[in-house]
Amino acid sequence: MTIRNIIFLGLILLGIVIAMVPENTTKPYKLTAEEMLVEVQGAAEMVSADDVAHWVISKDPSLQLIDVRSPDEFQTYHLEGAINIPLSVILKDEYQDMLDQGIKMNVLYSNGTINSHQAWMILRQLGFENNYVMQGGLNYWFDTIMNPQEPSVYSADEEFAKYDFRKAASSALGGGGAVALSAPAKTKADKPKIIRKKKKKAPAGGC
Amino acid sequence: MKTKYMNPYLAGVLLGLVLLMAFFFSGRGLGASGAVKSVVVTAVDIVAPGHTANSDYYGKYVGEGKSPMKSWLVFEMIGVMVGGFLSGALSGRLKWRVEHFPGITANRRLVFAAAGGILFGFGSQLGRGCTSGSALTGMASLSVAGFVSMMAIFGTAFALAYLLRKNWI
Amino acid sequence: MGPLVPQEIIGADWNLFIAFVIGIGFGFVLEQAGFSSSRKLAGLFYGYDTVVLKVFFTGAITAMLGLLFFSLFGWIDLSLIYVNPTFIWSAITGGVIMGAGFIIGGFCPGTSVCAAAIGKIDAMVFIGGILLGIFFFAEGFSFMKDFYMAGAYGPLKVSDFFGISGGVMALLVIIAALVMFKLGELAEKKWPREEY
Repeated sequence: MTIRNIIFLGLILLGIVIAMVPENTTKPYKLTAEEMLVEVQGAAEMVSADDVAHWVISKDPSLQLIDVRSPDEFQTYHLEGAINIPLSVILKDEYQDMLDQGIKMNVLYSNGTINSHQAWMILRQLGFENNYVMQGGLNYWFDTIMNPQEPSVYSADEEFAKYDFRKAASSALGGGGAVALSAPAKTKADKPKIIRKKKKKAPAGGC
Repeated sequence: MKTKYMNPYLAGVLLGLVLLMAFFFSGRGLGASGAVKSVVVTAVDIVAPGHTANSDYYGKYVGEGKSPMKSWLVFEMIGVMVGGFLSGALSGRLKWRVEHFPGITANRRLVFAAAGGILFGFGSQLGRGCTSGSALTGMASLSVAGFVSMMAIFGTAFALAYLLRKNWI
Repeated sequence: MGPLVPQEIIGADWNLFIAFVIGIGFGFVLEQAGFSSSRKLAGLFYGYDTVVLKVFFTGAITAMLGLLFFSLFGWIDLSLIYVNPTFIWSAITGGVIMGAGFIIGGFCPGTSVCAAAIGKIDAMVFIGGILLGIFFFAEGFSFMKDFYMAGAYGPLKVSDFFGISGGVMALLVIIAALVMFKLGELAEKKWPREEY
């Protein structure tokens, strides 16, 4: 067989194969399983409900709450300033700019933490930065921030400070415990640093 | 027909692999006219810097921290010269000469070459790339622009072939 | 995985070196295929030598298949590959002017540089012409700007335009190319000519 015929045959065969297989439309994961394991063990993606409450009250401009529950649940109740990106549609292109960015700190939440964590895992594997999960989810938020329980008298001072803050936060956020806003609680942890996104280079080329 | 050149289909496959490597490494295809444009921009910038800075066209390529010669295509075209020279040396084709159809004079060939070059240079800028940058690369990436360029270039050349037959056959 | 430089798997400093190496490959293949000869290039339009058609289309198809298979295997992220944007009117007009330049001058920019590298003086003159042509375009750009930007469709792909998959599009191009190759070979038999 001549080179010409081999090449003709090769091209037509490869052409038939490529025409029959479905196109690869999956988004490639940027992080390997090992890298993910390290990240998950570090638990650096978690932010506490107290911190979130603090940022909401202080109207921190860099905070973006993202509700990953269904639109129905979102309609019924959602945190102040939250936007709704249900888990099922999180990969849609229209949300990409919001989830893959370097200006804001996205805090994902769901009722518990399962869905928010699932969302975070996917986003993280795609290489997106600055996404966090609210520890405990909305359930915990209601139990602690909106209806704080007074600690027992034997608790450490720290617990009382937390309680005071929560009561104050609860009132500021329209919850049950109505108490004058007291000390600016020292619960505020260091805010996670926002990682500047490397400018995604538009593919360059052409003459 | 005996030929001193490589089997065209094999050469095509190799050309495709080179293009594929350009995509795989640099995320872009081959080109040629862009490098010549860089030379023009650089030359005009040296002669009349004020003119380039104010121009709609040159302005894109000059200014603080931009050097038009430090571009992918310029380095690629330097490579083309080296590669072409190596191939010519290997196959014993290095020779100073004006190649032309025996029925015309060398001077006529040179005049037509210059005219064709002017048209090609102008067209490549209007069409955003030449045969390699727009047609070949564009077709490989399935770009509409690539197919349109290819059909316009080859279609026009075929259409005008009869008028210019004295130059070639 | 790929493309390596845009994803910063290979540092951007290497990009120009890669360009140089790829250029060597490009120039070598062009010269070996006979693209350094204007008479061979022009042969396509008179039917006596269709090497341009064969090399050009085999090259485009090989790279097209390569991209599709690389994407299928997850070796390359097609969204990071440059797809030249379509500006329909300037693409057609530019193509027509280039086509005229091709049959008049006997080269295209890439092949002329390759031919100049082995000492073809007509190719050097052609390059001089390109420099002038680009200069004329740049100087007259402000008059043509509106036309240059008209009919913008962005980085549109033919497969999306026809609503078919990239793979089916590739197969159609391959079939069309094989038919053209056959015609080219018939033409070479019909108008045989000595090679120079």
